[in-house]
Amino acid sequence: MEQRIPATSVVHAAGAIDIRDVVHRFSGEVLAVSHATLHVAPGEFVSIVGPSGCGKTTLLNLLAGLLPVQEGSISVAGAAPRAGRHDVAYMLARDSLLPWLNALQNARFGAEIRNIPAQRRNARARELLTQVGLGSFEHAYPKALSQGMRQRVALARTFCLDSPILLMDEPFGALDAQTKLQLEEVLLALWTSERRTVVFITHDLSEAVALSDRVIVMSARPGTIIADIKVDLPRPRSVRALQRDARYHDIYAMIWSKLELALEGT
Amino acid sequence: MSRSTTVLGFPMWLARIVALLAFGAVWELTARLGLINPLFIGNPSGILAFFFKGLFVTRELVVHLLWTLAGTLAAFMLGSVTGILVGLLFVAYPKVEQFIDPIFAGLNALPRIALAPLFLLWFGLGITSKIALGFSLTFFIVLSSTVAGARSVNSDHLMLADTLGASSTQIFRRITLPSAVPTVFSGLRLGLIYALLGVIAGEIIAAQHGLGQSLTFLAGTFQINGVFAVLLLLALLGMSLTWIMTAVEARLLRWR
Repeated sequence: MEQRIPATSVVHAAGAIDIRDVVHRFSGEVLAVSHATLHVAPGEFVSIVGPSGCGKTTLLNLLAGLLPVQEGSISVAGAAPRAGRHDVAYMLARDSLLPWLNALQNARFGAEIRNIPAQRRNARARELLTQVGLGSFEHAYPKALSQGMRQRVALARTFCLDSPILLMDEPFGALDAQTKLQLEEVLLALWTSERRTVVFITHDLSEAVALSDRVIVMSARPGTIIADIKVDLPRPRSVRALQRDARYHDIYAMIWSKLELALEGT
Repeated sequence: MSRSTTVLGFPMWLARIVALLAFGAVWELTARLGLINPLFIGNPSGILAFFFKGLFVTRELVVHLLWTLAGTLAAFMLGSVTGILVGLLFVAYPKVEQFIDPIFAGLNALPRIALAPLFLLWFGLGITSKIALGFSLTFFIVLSSTVAGARSVNSDHLMLADTLGASSTQIFRRITLPSAVPTVFSGLRLGLIYALLGVIAGEIIAAQHGLGQSLTFLAGTFQINGVFAVLLLLALLGMSLTWIMTAVEARLLRWR
């Protein structure tokens, strides 16, 4: 079922993801994902968009090893998906910060769980908090932070893991438009400096186009991949500047027409 | 803190003192004029006189207070430590809980005061029987709050731990335990008051020392001012214990 690749080939940079003919049913009946095939190259930023309930989160959870692969095969950096793999970091729409830890302790929490040496994780967490604009909030507890700030801490926690693969499930889905724009910039800056493989689930097409190298469109349930579009906007990008870029709007319109097809099915 | 800090233009604390003084004055007058037999209601001046004499002159009340306090603290310590340990055992091994739970439920449903004669027989008239009674109350309160607290873990936090690859020991220490602390604390606050209740009840039934024993003695010899003085002391004691627990809680749970 799963292809095994010798451990020697699983080097730090090997962040490729391969999904082949995956079918997933809930309770053995409800068809959530139907024959999805997708390849993500190492260091590539790929977004998956589609109507709600199209199975995009299911697909991500399969990659994360949170759901068992039923049919087809998935390889993440050459190995079968498994929850808690150290080369994979997962981020949710809800910040899931631990309320009894301050921003710095939360930012390094994941690294601590993964036994990254104390000195390194401290320095890294501090650096990341500064990068997400919370350098002066190290000692603030989550209750004292706004929703946008909490999600920034979650972003720092995710990046502090140093995993070559990031799986993100609508990480900015719960934020207001302005905060969202700020966090997209922060994510772009972090990603540009490190180029990790990202699979990014969103229902916001403008977000997908602004951030990604490729946008995957899924149809309504049963979710299947109906379009795979390259976003060849130059990098480094600025989400704000893109709003005035004609090519950005062209690509957006083109993908939107595909997405409309998907929506017709609902 | 109450939101409206004034009553009829007066500061709240002043209004409270005035009301208390007025109540005391009416009480004093009622007793002095013989409107109600002072044998039953005593009089505030006599109560205060007994209170201060007992605390600062004869120091009799202090001795009783110390016995009660010692019993309460011992019952609280034993009850909360075992309550937390057994609670954590239940959370870590649900099978143990399934096995013991009906037995504990039955014990906990039992009016604890009914155990007093048995404890007197087993542990004698001294402080041990009072500690046992206080323990039997505190233990179950802290146990159930520990179990409830450890079960109230946010599922997002568990999912995070899962995706991070946390071991079950890491999940227990870094997520389950801290999640349980607030609920455990409200159990501890209640458990402390119940430890006091158990000890006082034990002393009332049969004892050589303690505020409960002093209460029965004073009532039995119709020293009604003494009874009220002891009640006043008990109220102050209960309030101080709760206040201390709240202060410790606020210090330890600053993140809330």
